[in-house]
Amino acid sequence: MYSPNEHPPTDPLAENNLQPFFVLHKASKSSESTAVTPGRATKRRLDSSSKVSLSNENLKMEAFRCVWSKIESKIKDVLRSINASVFDEIGQWVRESFNEICSCRGPVDPSNSSLPYPFVHNGGLVKKLFTGLVFTKNIETVDDILTFAELGLHLKSHGCYVANISSLDFSTKNGIGGCLRAFLRQLLMVDIEAADVSLLASWYSDHGKYEKPVVVIIEDMERCSGAILSDFINMLSEWSVKIPIILIAGVATSADAPRNVLTSRALQYLSTSIFSLKCPAERLDAIIETVLVKNCAGFSVGHKVATFLRNYFLRQDGTVSSFVRALKMAIVQQLSIEPLSFVLKLSVDERDSKRSWHEDLANLPEELIKHSFELPSYKKYSVNRNNYVELNATSLGHGLSEMQRLQELWRSCLMCLYEAGRYHKVALLDLYLEALDPELYNSRLSNHGCDSAKDRSLLSNNDKLFKLQKAEVTNQVIRKMRDLPAAKLSQLLKSWERFTEGSMEVHEKIMELQSQMVSEDVKGHKAELTDISKRHISRRGLNVEKDACTSNDKAATLAGQMIRDSMQPIECIPFHELVCFKDVDNLQSALAGDPRRRIQIDLLNFYKILKCGCCSNSGGTLSPSMHETSIMYTLAQEHGDLINLHDWFQSFKASISSSGNKGLKKLASPKKRKENTSSQNNSDALLQARFCRAVMELQITGLLRMPSKRRPDCVQRVAFGV
Amino acid sequence: MDVDEIEEEEFGFSRNYFLAKELGSSSRKKSARKLSEIDLVDEEELREVAASIEPKHEKEVNELISSYQSLYSKWLFVLRSGFALLMYGFGSKKALIEDFASKSLTEYSVVVVNGYLQSINLKQVVITLAELLWDQVKLRQKTTSGSLCKSQQPFNTRSMSDLLTFLDSPDLEVEDCFVCILVHNIDGPGLRDSDSQQCLASIAACSHVRMVASIDHVNAPLLWDKKMVHTQFDWYWCHVPTFAPYKVESMFFPFILAHGGSAQSVKTASIVLQSLTPNAQNVFKVLAEHQLAHPDEEGMPINNLYSTCRERFLVSSQVTLNSHLTEFKDHELIKTKRNSDGQDCLCIPLTNEALQKLIADIV
Repeated sequence: MYSPNEHPPTDPLAENNLQPFFVLHKASKSSESTAVTPGRATKRRLDSSSKVSLSNENLKMEAFRCVWSKIESKIKDVLRSINASVFDEIGQWVRESFNEICSCRGPVDPSNSSLPYPFVHNGGLVKKLFTGLVFTKNIETVDDILTFAELGLHLKSHGCYVANISSLDFSTKNGIGGCLRAFLRQLLMVDIEAADVSLLASWYSDHGKYEKPVVVIIEDMERCSGAILSDFINMLSEWSVKIPIILIAGVATSADAPRNVLTSRALQYLSTSIFSLKCPAERLDAIIETVLVKNCAGFSVGHKVATFLRNYFLRQDGTVSSFVRALKMAIVQQLSIEPLSFVLKLSVDERDSKRSWHEDLANLPEELIKHSFELPSYKKYSVNRNNYVELNATSLGHGLSEMQRLQELWRSCLMCLYEAGRYHKVALLDLYLEALDPELYNSRLSNHGCDSAKDRSLLSNNDKLFKLQKAEVTNQVIRKMRDLPAAKLSQLLKSWERFTEGSMEVHEKIMELQSQMVSEDVKGHKAELTDISKRHISRRGLNVEKDACTSNDKAATLAGQMIRDSMQPIECIPFHELVCFKDVDNLQSALAGDPRRRIQIDLLNFYKILKCGCCSNSGGTLSPSMHETSIMYTLAQEHGDLINLHDWFQSFKASISSSGNKGLKKLASPKKRKENTSSQNNSDALLQARFCRAVMELQITGLLRMPSKRRPDCVQRVAFGV
Repeated sequence: MDVDEIEEEEFGFSRNYFLAKELGSSSRKKSARKLSEIDLVDEEELREVAASIEPKHEKEVNELISSYQSLYSKWLFVLRSGFALLMYGFGSKKALIEDFASKSLTEYSVVVVNGYLQSINLKQVVITLAELLWDQVKLRQKTTSGSLCKSQQPFNTRSMSDLLTFLDSPDLEVEDCFVCILVHNIDGPGLRDSDSQQCLASIAACSHVRMVASIDHVNAPLLWDKKMVHTQFDWYWCHVPTFAPYKVESMFFPFILAHGGSAQSVKTASIVLQSLTPNAQNVFKVLAEHQLAHPDEEGMPINNLYSTCRERFLVSSQVTLNSHLTEFKDHELIKTKRNSDGQDCLCIPLTNEALQKLIADIV
């Protein structure tokens, strides 16, 4: 099976190929040197500046850890705070249910606690099982795994025993034993082959002392095997007095779910309460707000990337986890593309410890500093400004600080808009996308400039107008501001005041507008006090209306101004390449590969990948020098769903040998030529072997189905259309 | 109709849809030529020749593979960031991945799983991973300071979930400490079932394990649900076509031109028949002889078979015959068809040549 020039079978590598698994190598000792504490490593690396460019792998890694752990913890916080109210509600309900169970039970005799049926002194047999149905409003359970884990922690911290059982444990294959084992494992911390509830009961009477409830959380009720879950519920209800068990189950669809899943016997034991989680879009908005808008780690994404993320969320995946995953991937890619992007870490450090990054920048090697001034964004900027700045670390530091300032301004204005949009339920995601769009910003700027200069061609103007219309959501928010009642407007302005505290220019304007409103209000008030004539009142009423109109107008104008003057998207700021990820294609291909398409394209366009001289100029025709599997797959395209093996073989033979013998000869190695001259039979064998191998390779890629018994002479094509 | 055929029929509906959509479908080649019209060489010879096929574009393929070396540092960074690498694209990626591991992953222990093999014991893999991680941790702790306090239960006696907990334990406070698992063909025949995939997913989810895997099948992503993809495997897709021949991966695939199908079924059929009683064998022989003598008929009517067998004292009653027939059916040695007269006929689903060979075998 092994060709002579390959590894002979005695070769250890070849033997390894037949092992189900083997150890390739053990960790080498050099790993010790990298196990130094991270903090010290940076310092040293930054000091010995010549090393930075060479070995900034570790620097990158640290930057990644630092940035990502920051973002990750923020995301967790956000999700936790989103769920906080529901969790509290559930906690309250658990306590009440527990009290109710306790009140039914009466005094307990621990001596017979390992028997199922209760020793009830007051009241009859209680077999009720308190069940909380948590509606996840999300058909994808991925996002809720974390939520339920958090819920478990929350309840644990509020004095409950908690077991999180995954729906995988409720499979018919493992039977009731499977889920019981998982259950006992978490509470008793032991792995028991023969799981039994009586074990739990005796454990509970030892540990629980009837002071804490036992909460069982099942992430997704609908994915459980109905029979097993019903058995489980029947069993728990039998023990419900001995062990105060409370069930919490996630439900993705509707309140009908238990009825669809469980048997009627199990259903009758349930005493259900209903809770709802927030929907994924709300969670996503909250994450975008903290991570990308408030920019907790200095990292941001370009407009195209943001658009891709939005579309991926809305049209394809719909899970917050994939969004978070994509974000993490973007950071990894940013750090591996951009050599200077570890400044992200500096910015995180600065935020945390108020340590200035200027000194760190000063230690950077010359080449990196130089690199930063060669970024397209800086070039564009410096051409526009046409002023000479010394290209050193200090000016880079200034540039970065300026970028931070502009970002701060952008952020506060965006939050103002979002606040205004909140009255009409505008999603932050949409506003964010429009605020990121550099084209929109530029067309706004030039439009404004043209207005004042009064010279513009009709065509370009139309073009600009069209672009401006793209800012649908933003325009809508501003338009709607004109209709806000006075009370809400002043409320809005107050929140604006809060948002813009960091940036003086906008802040002042808002204060000004507010004071105007207040003075008008006071004027109106005074008028009311002094003027008693009915006629006047009605006039004053009109006046107030008009005033309100104007202050609404003013606020809307101010918003427009803010958008134009202060909301510079990150992609228009010099040096943004260092912290802003823009490579949408890379992100897309790493996030979700498309093997079905790509493997077919590999086969059909193989010469583009191999870049060989012989096949690329053959155009559409098949040349014998092409990769065999590629020839075969191209030939297969001419067939229908069934490929007759005989025909396929003949056309393969034709395209390998026909167009020329000359092509073949040119390529043929001495060995092959020898074969050609030798018996015809041998070359037939070779041809057939090549054919067989190509079919095998297509079979491995799954592009073919092997002949069935019914049609032994045909293979089936599986993929149609690239 | 057996399951295979039903499945095929269902497959047909979707296929027709896509075919109708494809351009130029009118010019499809339709043909009923037989494979046997080709002068096929012997399987042994075929295998021999196949092993010595001169690869085309060897230079370009090598250049392509070595061009991926520039990505090694990026891949390492991706791995260290917590993602798992998933390599796809046409061509064997075995050599590429192992080269990456031996050049860039020297600081970490590496276990290779050959997913293209037929059966793989994942428990053993996890035990090995745990042992390697334990060694790695010991090594590091020795060099830094503390001594290891915990006395360990040997890994090979622990349960799967225990092992996974160990691989995921947050208390191994050593930065950047993980073992790597390379899975060639994570979509391979030995790993394709959902249990194995769940198991692999939970291995990949462990904080001290990093996975590098390759897929070749175009539908491989269908093996995973969103939970596995987003929270457990956490794939970072890399498109790395190599065009290298699938030498090892195709080891267990049959040669399509080697009469593989019929040779195989003759072999299995003769094994089955030899395990039956002589009477049963003779009943089968009666049927086979009839089929060889009347190649154009649908098969042998059951009544005829019964009378012939009775004449030759092979069976004493319809019941005994039926028990033989059930046995044959269970092993797919015979099939029932209805002929034009509405009689149930028995036939052997083998070609005449194969049938002759089979009879020669069992005599």
